[in-house]
Amino acid sequence: MKLSFSPQDEQFREEVAQWLADNLCGEFECVRHRGGPGDEHHRVAERKAWERKLAEGGWTCIGWPKEYGGRGASIEQQVIFNEEYARAGGPGRIGHIGETLAGPTIIAFGSDEQKQKYLPGILRGEVFWCQGYSEPSAGSDLANVKTRAEFDEAAGKWRINGQKVWTSLAHESEYCFVIARTDPQSVGHKGLGFFLVTMDQPGVTVRPIEQLTGTSEFNEVFFDDAECDAADIVGAPGDGWKVAMGLLGFERGVSTLGQQMLFQNEFDAIVKLAKDNGAAKNPALRQRIADAHVGLKILRYNSMRMLSGGGDGSLQKEAMIYKLYWATWHRNLGKLAMDVLGQESEILDEAPYELNRLQSMYLFTRSDTIYGGTNQIQRNIIAERALGMPREPRG
Amino acid sequence: MDFTFSEDQLLFRDSVRDFLVNEVTPERIRGIWESDSGRDDGLWQQLAEMGLTGITVPEAHGGLGMDELDFVLLAQECGYVALPEPLVNTALVAVPVISQLGGQAAAEWLPKIAAGETRVAVGCSDNGLAEDAAQAGLLLWAEPQALYLLTPDQFSARFNESVDPSRRLYAIDIAAGVLPAASGEQAAALYQAVLDRGALGAAAQALGLAQRMIDISVQYTSERQQFGKVIGSFQAVKHHMANVAVRLEYAKAPVTRAAYALARGEAAQVAVSHAKLVACEAANLAAKNSIQVHGAMGYTWEVDLHIFMKKAWAMAGTFGDTGFHKQRVAEHIFADGVALGAGTTF
Repeated sequence: MKLSFSPQDEQFREEVAQWLADNLCGEFECVRHRGGPGDEHHRVAERKAWERKLAEGGWTCIGWPKEYGGRGASIEQQVIFNEEYARAGGPGRIGHIGETLAGPTIIAFGSDEQKQKYLPGILRGEVFWCQGYSEPSAGSDLANVKTRAEFDEAAGKWRINGQKVWTSLAHESEYCFVIARTDPQSVGHKGLGFFLVTMDQPGVTVRPIEQLTGTSEFNEVFFDDAECDAADIVGAPGDGWKVAMGLLGFERGVSTLGQQMLFQNEFDAIVKLAKDNGAAKNPALRQRIADAHVGLKILRYNSMRMLSGGGDGSLQKEAMIYKLYWATWHRNLGKLAMDVLGQESEILDEAPYELNRLQSMYLFTRSDTIYGGTNQIQRNIIAERALGMPREPRG
Repeated sequence: MDFTFSEDQLLFRDSVRDFLVNEVTPERIRGIWESDSGRDDGLWQQLAEMGLTGITVPEAHGGLGMDELDFVLLAQECGYVALPEPLVNTALVAVPVISQLGGQAAAEWLPKIAAGETRVAVGCSDNGLAEDAAQAGLLLWAEPQALYLLTPDQFSARFNESVDPSRRLYAIDIAAGVLPAASGEQAAALYQAVLDRGALGAAAQALGLAQRMIDISVQYTSERQQFGKVIGSFQAVKHHMANVAVRLEYAKAPVTRAAYALARGEAAQVAVSHAKLVACEAANLAAKNSIQVHGAMGYTWEVDLHIFMKKAWAMAGTFGDTGFHKQRVAEHIFADGVALGAGTTF
C-alpha cells in the first residue's frame, strides 16, 4: 500500500501543468471549463482545434502503448494528466470516444491494416468517432440488435441496414463503430459483427434528437445500404459481442478518471456558490454538500483501487458497481446544485433557452442513471454476478 | 500509487477469519449473552494465543508490532462475526495510545495486554459510557483535557443494559484524588486519537457486519420460495441487496485510506470521519434491507440477523455519531484556503 505519487510522477505533473498553462489560452480561452456534459454543443470548431493542439504536444492518447504512438503512460501519469487537465479548465474532449473506446478496441482486437488506417487520425486529434450500439429495440437488452450486415460478394463490401439511436456526437464524427447482425438467423449476442463505418457516405443519415436541455448531443443514425469495406470488420463475423464487451471494459477503466475531475470542478463550483450566496450557512445544505464530498472521494479512492489491479479479488465486483454509484451520485449533485442556487435556479440565463452551467448540469444528470446501462440493469448485474443471487427467468 | 494489501496481510486476514468464523458462532454469542460477566474468558485466551491481543504491541513489549493497516483487515473480520470481546478497541485504541504515553505505563501494561493477562477497556467522554469497564483490569478513560489509566480500585462502574446484548456498557465514577496519566495539550491530542481510532475501529467492524448481513440474506433469499420461485430471483428483492453491495464495496477504500493515514501518523480526522460515515451507512442499510428481504422471519429473535443488526446500530453511534462526523467533513470543506480540487486525491 502506497498512496502517494513518486518524484518522477510529480515532475510529470509539472510538465503537464506547464504545457496547459502555455497553451490553453488565447484562442482557446473561450473553451476553458466548457463543453462538458450538457454543454457539448459549445464552440465545437474551437474544441476540435484544441484536440489538434493537444496532439501537437503529444497529449492525446497518452495511455496507448508507445508502438501505437501513445506515451505508454502509467496509470499514475494518466491520473495526473486528468487532474491537471481539469484543474486548468480543459474543455470537454470531443476525441474521447476515439481515444478511450475505438482506439483501444482496435489495438486489442484489430488487424494491422486497421491499426495503420485508424490510429494515426485519432492520435492527431483530427478524426472523431461515435458509438453505434443502441437501437430502438435494443436498449437495456443490447443484444437484441436488429441492424443487419450482409456481405456483397460482387462488390466485396459489407452492406449495413438498420437504425442506431442515442448516438452521441454522431453529427461531429468521421467514423462510427457499429454492432450489426452478420448471421440473419441468429438471436441475442451470437452472430454479431463489429464494423468500422465511414459516416460521410450516401447510406448514412444522421438526425439530431433534441434533448430536454434544448440542445442536441445525441442522434438517430440510419443505415440504408451503408457500405463498409471487407477489411473494416474487427474480428471475424460472429465475434462482435466479444469485441463490444472488451470495449466496455475500457469504458470502465482509465476513461472514468477524466470524468471524475469534471465532477470535482462541478463540486468546487457548488461549494464556491454556497459560500458566496450564504447557502453554506444552511445546516441542511451543509450536510448534503458534505455527503457529496464524501461520495466524490469514494469515487476517487475506488478508481485508484480498481486501477491498482490485483488486490483482494473483489475488484471485478468494483467495476460492476462503478456505473451505478457515479450515476446516482452525479444525479444527486445536479439536484444539490439547484437547491444551492435557490430560487435563481428557475431563471434562464438568456432567451430563448440558454441554460446556465449548473442548470444544464442538473438537466443533463437526469440521463446519467439511464445511459450506459440503467440503474435497474446495473442492480441486476450486481445481484446476479457479484452476489451470486439466482437469475431472473428471462424470455 | 498502490491501493492494494500485500499477500502477507491477506493471508493473515484469512487465517484470522477462519478462526473467528469457526469459534465465534451465533450460538456461542447467544451463550455469552447468558453468562454472568457477559464475556468469555476462554475466548479471550484463544485470541491472546493467536497473538491478536498484542498485535499492535511493539515487539519490545512482547507483541507482534503490527500497524493499523495490518489490523484494519482483522477488525473487519471481528465485525463479520460480531465479536463481543473488545479486541478492536484493545488493538486499535488502547495499545497505540498507551504506547504514545510511553514510559512506565507502556512498560507495565503492554506486556500484560499482549499476553492476555490484562483486559483493557476504553472509554471516552464523547460516548458517555465505557464498554467492558467492569470486566477489565485496566480502563483507559479519555476526556478532552485529561486521560486516565485506571485500575479497578480507582473507579466504580454502573452497568447500563444495552439494546445489543453483546455490549457491556458502564457509567464511570473516578475515585476522588486519582490523577490523570496525561493532561493539557497532551491529553487533548490523546483524546483526539482515542476518538479517531475508536471511530476507525467501528467503521471497520461495520464493513464486516454489512458483509455478514449480505451473506445471510443472499443465502436465505436463494432458498426461500414464493410463487413457485426462489424469492432472490425477483428484481424487487435482488435490488435491495445490490444497493447494499454497492455501499459496502465502496466504503472499503475510505476505511483503508483512514487506516493508512493513522499508520503513517498523518492528519487523519477527515479521512476517519469519511470512513465512519460511509461504513456505518453501509451497515445500517444492510440491516434494513436484510430484515426486509427476510420478511417476518427477519423480525424474530430466533433468526441471527439481529445479532449483527444491533451491533451495526451500536457502531454507528459510538465514537462520534453521523452528525458529528458529517460536521467535521463540512467544516473541512468550508474552511478558507483548503485545497479540495484536482491534485488533492490523497
